[in-house]
Amino acid sequence: MEKLIIEHMLNSPGVILDPEKGKYEFSGESRPENARNFYMPVLEWLEKFAADFSKQDPSNRTIPREFQFNFEYFNSTSAKYILDIFKILSNVHSQGINIQVKWLYEADDEDMLEVGMEMSRMSKLPFEYVKIEV
Amino acid sequence: MDFEGSISFKTIERLLNKLRSTPEFQGLRKPAKKRLYGIFVESVDNIYKYTARISTDNLSKIKNPMISVKKLENAFLITAGNMVPNDDIGELRFKLDRVNQLDNEALKTLYEDVINQESGSDDKGAGLGLITMALRADKEINYSFTSLDKDYSFFEIQITINE
Repeated sequence: MEKLIIEHMLNSPGVILDPEKGKYEFSGESRPENARNFYMPVLEWLEKFAADFSKQDPSNRTIPREFQFNFEYFNSTSAKYILDIFKILSNVHSQGINIQVKWLYEADDEDMLEVGMEMSRMSKLPFEYVKIEV
Repeated sequence: MDFEGSISFKTIERLLNKLRSTPEFQGLRKPAKKRLYGIFVESVDNIYKYTARISTDNLSKIKNPMISVKKLENAFLITAGNMVPNDDIGELRFKLDRVNQLDNEALKTLYEDVINQESGSDDKGAGLGLITMALRADKEINYSFTSLDKDYSFFEIQITINE
């Protein structure tokens, strides 16, 4: 599957979805002018990623795939699309595919930790919380 | 800091830079800094969304949007204002009164309801953004509507964040 790389901008996050390197990352700020336009290609990529497992060798399912979320800030409009990302990943996870989600937050940013816990609860997808010392 | 004038997407970037460069902002501890930043972004986003919806071509009175951040003794006061159609007042009042009455647990439940309803569609304003602001604010959100003419009013909200 083709990788999807989006360079981070002042108001939109960096995205790396690269199956070949086994690297899946979101980082930075998310308050794009049009959140729908920004996140649609990402959601479409993930839908295809999810669907592709049915065509692959079953052994592929057990390979751990780590998705790292390292948001500095995201606005409420972005939050909807970020939840959509987790809903797709949750669906993939519930099919027995080895998805691991790491939610990074700065040590003094309790709000970001709390938002992560809410996202995990709402999408029914377990997260691992990684505290970054600042 | 104070700003009055029309808000385009480019203006948002300028306003955020202005906020970040103030000594009061730089002197804040990280959690308060992020809360102030987040509420500021949501406020400006709301103004921007509303401005995009209102055509000012045939208006008798035009009042520019405004946003200000004021340092109080142990807190910050964010005031944001913009024109809204009078037809929207009922719904805005309802949404504001609702978030003001709820405690944090109830706000989280409402957040979940709204984010799932609106998932995949863009917010028209004062939905999820307002709940997010209420979750981060340290006092209830004050608001007022001042009538401009038969079709429009000036809508102002005030949010307090502790230092």
